[in-house]
Amino acid sequence: MADKRNEIWVFGDYRNYFQNRVTLQLLARANAIAPAIDGLVCAVVLGHDVGEYVWEYGAHGADRIYVTDHPDLKTYSGDLYTHLMVKLAEEKRPEIILIGATDFGREFGPRVAKRLETGLTADCVGLEINRDGLLVQTAPGFGGNLLAEIVTPKARPQMATVRPGIFQEIPHDDDRKAEVIEIPLPPDIPRDRVRLLRCEYRPGRDQCLEDARVVICGGRGMGSKSKFKKLFELARLLNGEVGATRPVIYSRWADHEALVGQAGRQVKPRLLFSFGISGAIQHTAAVTDAEFIIAVNKNPHATMMKMADVAIAADANQVCTALIKELKRRLKSS
Amino acid sequence: MDFNPCMKHKVVRKTVREFAEAELGAIAAELDREARFPREVAGKMGPLNYFGLQIPREYGGAALDSISYAITVEELSRVCPAMGLCITVHNSVGAFPILAFGTQAQKSRYLPELASGERIGAFCLTEANAGSDAGGVETHAVADDAGNYRINGTKIFVTNGGICGLALIFAVTAPDDPKRGASVFIVESEMPGYSVGEIEDLCGMRANPVSSIFLEDCPVTVDHLLGKPGDGLKIGLKTLDTGRIGIAAQGLGIAQGAFEASIRYAKERQQFNRPIASFQTIANYLADMATEIDAARLLLYRACALKDSGKAFGEAAAMAKLYCSAVAVKTADKAVQIHGGYGYSKEYEVERFYRDAKVTEIYEGTSEVQRMVISRAVLNRLV
Amino acid sequence: MDKIELIVCIKQVPLVSELPWDPKTKTLRREMAEGMMDPAAKHALEAALQIRKVMEEKAVAGKKKIRITVITMGPPMSEEVLREALAMGADSGVLLTDPRMAGADTLITSKILGAAIKKVRPDFDLVFCGSAASDSETGQVGPQLAEELDVPAAAYVERLDIENGHIRIQRLCDNFLETLEMDLPALVTIPPRTFFPRHVPLGGLQQSFEGGDVRTLLAADIALSPDLYAAKASPTKIVNVFSPTAEKENIRLRGAAKKVVEELFRRFEDRIGGAAGKDLKISDLKIPE
Repeated sequence: MADKRNEIWVFGDYRNYFQNRVTLQLLARANAIAPAIDGLVCAVVLGHDVGEYVWEYGAHGADRIYVTDHPDLKTYSGDLYTHLMVKLAEEKRPEIILIGATDFGREFGPRVAKRLETGLTADCVGLEINRDGLLVQTAPGFGGNLLAEIVTPKARPQMATVRPGIFQEIPHDDDRKAEVIEIPLPPDIPRDRVRLLRCEYRPGRDQCLEDARVVICGGRGMGSKSKFKKLFELARLLNGEVGATRPVIYSRWADHEALVGQAGRQVKPRLLFSFGISGAIQHTAAVTDAEFIIAVNKNPHATMMKMADVAIAADANQVCTALIKELKRRLKSS
Repeated sequence: MDFNPCMKHKVVRKTVREFAEAELGAIAAELDREARFPREVAGKMGPLNYFGLQIPREYGGAALDSISYAITVEELSRVCPAMGLCITVHNSVGAFPILAFGTQAQKSRYLPELASGERIGAFCLTEANAGSDAGGVETHAVADDAGNYRINGTKIFVTNGGICGLALIFAVTAPDDPKRGASVFIVESEMPGYSVGEIEDLCGMRANPVSSIFLEDCPVTVDHLLGKPGDGLKIGLKTLDTGRIGIAAQGLGIAQGAFEASIRYAKERQQFNRPIASFQTIANYLADMATEIDAARLLLYRACALKDSGKAFGEAAAMAKLYCSAVAVKTADKAVQIHGGYGYSKEYEVERFYRDAKVTEIYEGTSEVQRMVISRAVLNRLV
Repeated sequence: MDKIELIVCIKQVPLVSELPWDPKTKTLRREMAEGMMDPAAKHALEAALQIRKVMEEKAVAGKKKIRITVITMGPPMSEEVLREALAMGADSGVLLTDPRMAGADTLITSKILGAAIKKVRPDFDLVFCGSAASDSETGQVGPQLAEELDVPAAAYVERLDIENGHIRIQRLCDNFLETLEMDLPALVTIPPRTFFPRHVPLGGLQQSFEGGDVRTLLAADIALSPDLYAAKASPTKIVNVFSPTAEKENIRLRGAAKKVVEELFRRFEDRIGGAAGKDLKISDLKIPE
């Protein structure tokens, strides 16, 4: 334990493992920034029967892994995990703690930071080390319209929750082995103040829009409720999900669940179709993460058309109809 | 003199704007196209006190001051002028006369129903041969020995006509007395002899069901008489003063809506590879619009402030009505011009504002009548 | 329990269409912007109002007094959102405003809110926060306030019931639908996907401005340590702010629908097919292997 390097911790968030590989992405980023601060990449794994994850994190770039494996930790617990993480951090004094910005991470991270009396930057999309050796955390605000670079000059550790999908994970390498340090469950652990009565896995119930690889968004420019319905057929053909703007929701053409916007859902598909949407900021802010945007609007100068990779100046409804027809032809022929 | 809006007025504006954009924004064009009054939206507005803006709390109203009232009408009209019209007519010429001239029994009986929107109000003065000249009114009410009346006549261009549950009927009770010959009656829509004519096919404000109202031997007991017999003219004039504040607010809201649409369009629309807002002519139009709207707003709020401080506000209300309606028409006209061909299309809301604006120069006293009111006051002063 | 104290922390955020930023101090110039009640906070308030109604209906015999206090921290104009909250049905409002509180990050904000709650409602039962404000989008103040108050907490709550000193919750967290129970006092955060807020009644607004119970507290009133200046005490510092929205070099198509769709597939069939996970190539164009 003579290693005096600065520890960079990554919280091992494995609950949604196959959907969400953010822990692996963070291990990769931690490896990338480690040289600049003479850092040692560590993972912290709390839970029960977590050997599989310990092994996986090692193969994905952790140099050292702290593990507390105990039956009492078999379900995720904000209370207990916070207690254990804080206790461990107070003992080991890491320089940096990175936590995936999953729902759990965004509830757990703030509590750890509060108890450690340190700063925390939310939902980061960039992590760099500056000339002073400080972690520069880039965080979005106002629905991605502004990015802020934030540092924590004095307090330690420097903490960030990090948006999934930003960093590329290091390929699995069985030859990489981490030093595994078992931390026994301390005897004085307080009882969990939150009693978990039931927990059901809901694959994608509410997340389908957020996770969809193809999203079809429609606005009032579709013309009418019956025309708007065509978007669902298009979505079916493209394995996509349908989103809607606020005026569409108000007109009752689609359920509130479908709202893509400030008070609704943020989407990040590989392909976004935007039909008849002019692009109020409440909506555009929620689609900035789309990889490729095809917008259709009669008005070539609509904001949405400027954001698009392909801007089609034409009637949204007619293009939708033509697209459906062409897709059916192509799907039949293959 | 403080020209800063107070916090309450700012919050009232945001509140009404949020409501109007949420509930009316997406459907305003459709309502206009289908000439449909949105009863479902009106149903939501009842519990939110839109039908009792200045009615005292004891009757279920919001007890707002006049500037808040003007802001409410302005913000509704910025999105959906036809709904702004329903609200201003209901509040200022439907409910206000009962509040100002009604007996305690009449107030207790009618104001709660009006404040909740259960009954929508209308004021019926205009006839085929009578408008601003109340002397031409032919509808008459004849009293029997017990003091009860029978009303006969036809009223036209009644705003809210198709939806009103309570109509104030201006009728002749003493044909030979030119000054005190008219009276106002409270007539409930379910009374015998009351019927509604066809909805008028108008140029603008199409979502408001403007109609004729027929009264055929409509029997009203004496407790339906508002004020005393012969008070008609007095009530009518006072009511019109109040009504003018509402119509001015409506014109202001239309101008504001058309102005904002113009700003958006001028920044977005490209010609010769630059946004048209960068052309001086268009920029000048926008500057004029902004200036005139600001002036209109100050005139209107001054009239409201005078009214609330209990001072004479008739002249100020006439000025506000004259100017706000002119600014509405001019701004909507320039908004269409800035939009070019698109402005002439129903795709864009400025086309609707253009049609809706005109009537603000006509009803509740035409601009010519406002000038008459104002010039009289001016001339009287200079003796 | 003959009395239940509900607290809602709300925030005034700039209207999303305005981003008044001071590049010198790197803070929001809130005094320049028109503000609105943060959407998630409004949902949190709605949750409190609905819970009160349910409990009042249940406790007809017990006659419980359920009081809702809204608290906000911000410049003086944040009073607007308190008045609005009162108009929606809250009982009283607390405005925390003091130059010393300006520039607080989430850690310091949670300490200030915690100190205020301990001062004005030491016997609180349940605190509601929005799950994340629409301006800074951190979602950190709720959980950190729970730490400051040392109470159990749950974020993203979609349903809740209060019964006999504890609270039962349903929430969706990373695709897990959880049913949880906590003893009171506790804290919950509400996401803007449930408890859709009511419209603000105008009569309520007039009353809230006439006689609404709103009090203003300064740093000294909540016994903040005299050398605490939020901007200095906050561990995080913003060093740079920029706007990522650069206009794209895009491809523009126009013409008849059929033509543009053909063109779209000619250029992007791989991209569209790739995203959809479908082979969209026309088979007769495929080269036989």
